Amino acid sequence: MRSRKSGSDNDETLAGKRPVEQVTNGKTNLSRRKLLTRLGLGATVLAVGGQAYAFLRSLVPNVLYENPQRFKVGSADQFSEGARFIDDKRIFIFREKNTFHCISATCTHLGCTVKMNRVNQGKQVSVRGRQINEQVEFACPCHGSKYYGDGTNFAGPAPKPLAHFKIEIAPEDGQLVVDTSQTVSQDFRLTI
Amino acid sequence: MMTPQAAWAKVKNPRVTWEKIKWTWLPGSYREAGDSIVKNFLLHWFPSKITRQSLSWNYSFWLGTISAVLFLILIVTGIPLMFLYVPSVERAYLSVKDLEFTISFGWFLRGLHRISAHLMVAVVFLHLVRVFLTGAYKNGTAVNQNRQLNWIIGVVLLLFTLLLSFTGYLLPWDQLAYWAITVGTNIASSAPLIGEKMRFILLGGHTIDQATLIRFYVLHCFFLPLGVLLLFSYHMWRVRKDGGLACVDHLSLEQKKQNAAPIKSKTYSLLGITNGRTVHVETSIIDADQHTVMSSPNLTRRIVLVTLGTLAIAALLAILFHAPLEEAANPSVTPNPAKAPWYFLWLQELVTDTTFTIGGITINGALIGGIILPGVLVVAAIIWPYLDKSPVHAVGVWFATERRKQNLIFLVIVAAILIFTVIGTYMRGPFWNWYWPWQSWPTMPRKF
Repeated sequence: MRSRKSGSDNDETLAGKRPVEQVTNGKTNLSRRKLLTRLGLGATVLAVGGQAYAFLRSLVPNVLYENPQRFKVGSADQFSEGARFIDDKRIFIFREKNTFHCISATCTHLGCTVKMNRVNQGKQVSVRGRQINEQVEFACPCHGSKYYGDGTNFAGPAPKPLAHFKIEIAPEDGQLVVDTSQTVSQDFRLTI
Repeated sequence: MMTPQAAWAKVKNPRVTWEKIKWTWLPGSYREAGDSIVKNFLLHWFPSKITRQSLSWNYSFWLGTISAVLFLILIVTGIPLMFLYVPSVERAYLSVKDLEFTISFGWFLRGLHRISAHLMVAVVFLHLVRVFLTGAYKNGTAVNQNRQLNWIIGVVLLLFTLLLSFTGYLLPWDQLAYWAITVGTNIASSAPLIGEKMRFILLGGHTIDQATLIRFYVLHCFFLPLGVLLLFSYHMWRVRKDGGLACVDHLSLEQKKQNAAPIKSKTYSLLGITNGRTVHVETSIIDADQHTVMSSPNLTRRIVLVTLGTLAIAALLAILFHAPLEEAANPSVTPNPAKAPWYFLWLQELVTDTTFTIGGITINGALIGGIILPGVLVVAAIIWPYLDKSPVHAVGVWFATERRKQNLIFLVIVAAILIFTVIGTYMRGPFWNWYWPWQSWPTMPRKF
């Protein structure tokens, strides 16, 4: 170890005798040694950095094999009056006579699936400056957030109402189609 | 060179042959005896002499050693578990079920691994509490101490311990696992600007699936243990560099105060060994026999005792308390209530209580209770040693009067965490409603 260190000391003294920078015509030129050192270092940093980038980039997926966000939930006549939970899609489909709407079951606080509690004989609540007669309410098992039947949060840590998703009719077979990538206002209704 | 005849004569000699066959632990020479000590990793790691106070049970409570032993148990039990567990969403739950019910002693391996993880979280936290209350993150009297840095390493090790537990309880892919990842990654996504991106990288997509499981598996089995191993090595090396436990600094201060007799000292120049200054060596009275003992066998014996004791308690607990396994992960049904393991319940309680609306803008409790408050705690812990200006007499003393105020603040924070943990454990029922322990929970439909 020590002899190697003293060896490198020698090199330094030798290097010290050589001109590190030559001044010709008022311009500063790098010595050959310094240039090669910098080139070597630069190449090393570039090679290691590039491969590190390749390694990390591979962990960001380019293709996702996930379920489509737009899907059919069945024909309109399969839905009876009131709310139904589609469990594998984590959504509620509401039917009021000939209108339909869809509310997400994903709690806006931390993403647990809310549970639907039926309210006996309906309940008059004033939401968003309006009186509504609700048949259901939602409650989250994880941190106790509560939502009115229209998805508006009223208790617990949830910061905003449950999302409402766009619902439409498939032109080819007349089934209801939900698009969870498109959120709509709480007043959105599909009328059939 | 021995002639063949002479060699054969030696082999023929039954005593010589027997000596060759028989293994002996006895050193063959004084040099061999000396080498065996120099080359011994443990004796190289430990100082040759150690103060009686460092060895005492009721100064350090040996919490650091116990954490290290628990980590060792976790590695030893983790290796066979890696052979038996399959990190795929289809097979993970079934392979853990196999561990519980069909593989010989599989339940014991998993139970010991799990209980050691729980104990490690508790013991590492208690270790931090001990270090704070004794002011052991402060530099004392010796030169080149950097205990502040070692305290920071310790805080990071606590965070690593929590991350290891988090990534560990996801692996069975049961309901606990699924909803823990849901909540955990949604806390990450509540961070401003980078939140959604962070969740995407953690999950390896938008939904919790195979990419998520394998990510957490590799983190749990490779990156996080490697991190702990590296940090732990540095942590121990620093303890030696800083002159051992902080109580030693206190002892030597006391000695200097009492002792009027001149202390023998000598200044050495370090010549070529290292750059810079010379060392000034004082014969400290703490080297005297009434204060110190030889590390071998006093320290080694206690370490063996603590190791065996920790292993015995962990093994007994693993036999007494079977590791639970919830139902298989089901994305459409959140258990009611869905509770995190006990050491995260204070955070679960915190994210419940911290959604605020200020001037029409609602800030999610996930950001305040899940990121900002814990972040403030960690940052406060990291910079605290640099803010603590108490005198050197407060180093290595339990509840030093000079540090009374800060110990009090610290204990209030610890108590708040414990109270939140107790509330989350015993006072929360379905829909995270408040129930006293003597109140029974209403029966809840499993589905709707």
